[in-house]
Amino acid sequence: MLRGRKRTESDFKAEIAAHLEHEIERLRSEGMSQAEAEGAAHREFGNVAQTEERFHETRHWMLLEHLYRDVAHAFRVFARNPGFTFVAVVSLALGIGVNALVFSAVNAIVLRPLPVTQPEQLAFLENARYNAGLSFPAYRELRDHNQVFAGTLGYRVTQIELESRGAGTVRTWGYLATGNYFDVLGVKPYRGRFFHAEDDLHQGGSPYAVLSYGSWQARFGGDPDIVGKTIRINRQPYTVLGVAGRDFHGTEVFYWPEVWVPMMMQAQIEPGNPWLDEPATSNTWVIGRIKPGVSAEQATANLNTIARDLARSNPAWNEGLSFHLARPGLIGDMLGSPVRAFSFGVLVLAALVLLTACANLTSLVTARASDRQREIAIRLSIGATRGRVVRQLLTETLVLSALGGGAGYALATFLSRTLSAWRAPLDFPVQFDVTPDWRVFVFAAAISFLAGILFGLAPARHAARTDANAVLKGEASGFRGRRLALRDVLVVVQVALCFVLVSACLLSLRGLQRSLTMHLGFEPSGVSMAAFDLGLAGYTKARGEEFQRRAVEALAQLPGVQSAAYVNSVPLSVDQSHTTVYPEDQPELRASTAPVAIFYEASPNYFATVGIRMLAGRDFNWHDDANAPHVAVVNLAFARQVLHTDNALGKRFRRGPRGALYQVIGIVETGKYMSPTEPDTPVLFQPMLQQYNTTTTMVVRSSLPENQMTEKIRQTMAQLDPELPLFSAGGMSQVLRFAFFPLHAAVLALSAFGVLAVVLAITGIHGLVAYGVARRVHEIGIRVAIGATPRQVIKLVLSKTFYLLGLGAVIGLGLALAAGKLLETVIYGSPRDPLVFVGVCLTMIVLGLISSWAPTRRALRIEPTVALRHE
Amino acid sequence: MPTRDENERIAILQGTLDLLILRTLLFGPQHGQGIARAIQLQSDDELLVDHGSLYPALQRLEGQGWISAEWGTSDNNRKARFYKLTRTGRKQLAHETSQWERLATAIGRVLAGRKAEG
Repeated sequence: MLRGRKRTESDFKAEIAAHLEHEIERLRSEGMSQAEAEGAAHREFGNVAQTEERFHETRHWMLLEHLYRDVAHAFRVFARNPGFTFVAVVSLALGIGVNALVFSAVNAIVLRPLPVTQPEQLAFLENARYNAGLSFPAYRELRDHNQVFAGTLGYRVTQIELESRGAGTVRTWGYLATGNYFDVLGVKPYRGRFFHAEDDLHQGGSPYAVLSYGSWQARFGGDPDIVGKTIRINRQPYTVLGVAGRDFHGTEVFYWPEVWVPMMMQAQIEPGNPWLDEPATSNTWVIGRIKPGVSAEQATANLNTIARDLARSNPAWNEGLSFHLARPGLIGDMLGSPVRAFSFGVLVLAALVLLTACANLTSLVTARASDRQREIAIRLSIGATRGRVVRQLLTETLVLSALGGGAGYALATFLSRTLSAWRAPLDFPVQFDVTPDWRVFVFAAAISFLAGILFGLAPARHAARTDANAVLKGEASGFRGRRLALRDVLVVVQVALCFVLVSACLLSLRGLQRSLTMHLGFEPSGVSMAAFDLGLAGYTKARGEEFQRRAVEALAQLPGVQSAAYVNSVPLSVDQSHTTVYPEDQPELRASTAPVAIFYEASPNYFATVGIRMLAGRDFNWHDDANAPHVAVVNLAFARQVLHTDNALGKRFRRGPRGALYQVIGIVETGKYMSPTEPDTPVLFQPMLQQYNTTTTMVVRSSLPENQMTEKIRQTMAQLDPELPLFSAGGMSQVLRFAFFPLHAAVLALSAFGVLAVVLAITGIHGLVAYGVARRVHEIGIRVAIGATPRQVIKLVLSKTFYLLGLGAVIGLGLALAAGKLLETVIYGSPRDPLVFVGVCLTMIVLGLISSWAPTRRALRIEPTVALRHE
Repeated sequence: MPTRDENERIAILQGTLDLLILRTLLFGPQHGQGIARAIQLQSDDELLVDHGSLYPALQRLEGQGWISAEWGTSDNNRKARFYKLTRTGRKQLAHETSQWERLATAIGRVLAGRKAEG
């Protein structure tokens, strides 16, 4: 460190010249000639140029050279202590890696704005009553009459059938977007052009499509001449206007659509459900660009004036309508607030992990400092300044944290790339980009540096106070008594946390094990399935019903097929529908008190095909059609909870307050419908022949391997309609992986956190014991000298540790039981599984032994003669 | 003029040179050549001050804030850069002096012990 004024080289040269002149004068006064004196003075001084060079170096290179030497020295120190270095780098890498990963997710979901022009001006319009959507007539009013938005766009997430080149027709997802969508956002197309407001004026009059970059690449092979070509969506021709930019995935962070179609095509994109003129259907999500100079409050006030006008003109639908503004990207605050709160929580948790890692390293480094006291004392006595020694020690910890940070960043990058590439096993384009950008790098670098300072400062300060002479003469052990209260608390917290995470991890593993053998209320093995939507494919109801019948007959005749059926949706898939139920004998029920049940529409033979046991009554048959009396099959939970009897055959109920009456003709066992962990749920089945549904899932039970059978289903369906796109095709258990996804995710995440917790707890306990031993070398030496047995030494060293461990474990046990209750919704198993708790306790004991092994051995090896030598 | 073979003089260790410079400046401001002369004279010409090392040492001490410097005129009316002990420099001198004395005593003891054994 150079302090004070900067000095120029010419100033330094002048000083040397002055020195030489003085010297020459002195020598001449002693009798030398001018020439002799000059020669002597120069000889005495030595090489002037070299001295000047040294001046130059001290000015410019001292810092760098010291840094280089410090770093080199740090690496020599690490090489001498590979164990310490490994533990330090690994725990730092984990701590920093977790933080960088969490930060990159938060960055992607919450911090990074939508890739549009001036995203800060955009506001998502939230309908206070229904959270997100607005009816399209209300949107139009709002768009035309507000004075605060420079532009107001509307959009809708929707499924479409897209004919792709080569791979046939697919059922996929897109956006219906108002004509001004791209102009309000201010995005540029990658190819061609986007549609504008004038392209979206008349219903059914704008068959245009904009492809996403990904769709253009995957479905159309990146065709350079795609613009202007006609593609088929829902079996109708649409002209491709352009391709969106690579980074543009629409206006929701999670949902990556393939196609944007003008809103006026709604009736064609969602056949059978036109709602553009329907004030009762709130399907339009709205984003506005606030005019410059308008505050959020002014905007909200103006929008709510319009809301009151809407309520006056159409009280039936708009009464109580009010708006507030939210950040776009996460369906306003509906997803936004919980996601943001959750992200913040996880970020705090990750910060705690890093803080714990730093605390552990502080103990470790301080414990090690006792071994280095002599080294430091020697360096001090041969002329190193305290500043240099402190800098040296800080350099060591900073190099450590840089190594850990580098490894952690690499880890986070790898994991987040995996996460970005990962597609949820969902029939829905849930995807988000968590690839780290510069923000993540800066964040990781900053926390690495901070961590290094944090755990390096205490030992460095300690070293700065080292009294070199005292240490060298052996008058003092360098350690002065210091309170360890904070460190103790941290160890207790770590042990408790470790206990909770390890038990959660084991619980989830047990749940996974049980889920493999649990009964779901149906028998998915041996069943193959494939789904399609006849509505998107343009079938009328009559043609659709006929097609369903033909399909099931064709499949039933395939060799190896035991039985075939169709249903609107299978249990444990994403698509589950609920309805309110009004039993005939309970006329007092109102909308708020009526029981809710899941409903399915099924063909005859459905129960036998998927293996649902019939408890009483009969299955549907082909005569239960539109001309026959309305019938239903219910599950046992429906009979008990809704009809209040086990013998519900013959009972009648309505779907909805004014629906038709259905008579119960059969009762089936209760299964799992939404998730494997749900309680018994009432379910009703109606014959598809009486209650047509365009969404159709063909199910086939056969003796053939599931992938072979799936292939045969594909072939058969292709013969019936070569263009009909299939989705959710495969073995039933394979397709239903989605239902077990939370469990798998929980096992994965909890195992990761469990390992992290164990590593941290080991370093924490190790640091604590090592520190204790280092501090008490003399004491232990004296005790051994006056006859302490190894047992007594061990007790001395470990009593406090085990006290802290025990305290942590007790707290952890309490927390684990509480956390187990939370976990019940995700994992399949009891939080009080005794096997799990025996496992956790064993883990903790092993952990305690491992982490205190090395320092305890060190304590046992203390030779009184060596420990007391100094005195 | 006393002459000595230069080889016989004791070269000064780096850390020690700092101490000697500080000590010399205790008697008042002095320029580089004056400091070198003073050390040599006061040690009865036992110690050799390598002029090439002197200036980097002065530079270092100035950097530490223990001495300060400014240009002035010497006794014989020549321009020279005069060094002066700062307040922290004074403290440092006291500290290093006591350190040195303890170290010297300790080393002296050790050497005396050796001799007794031998």
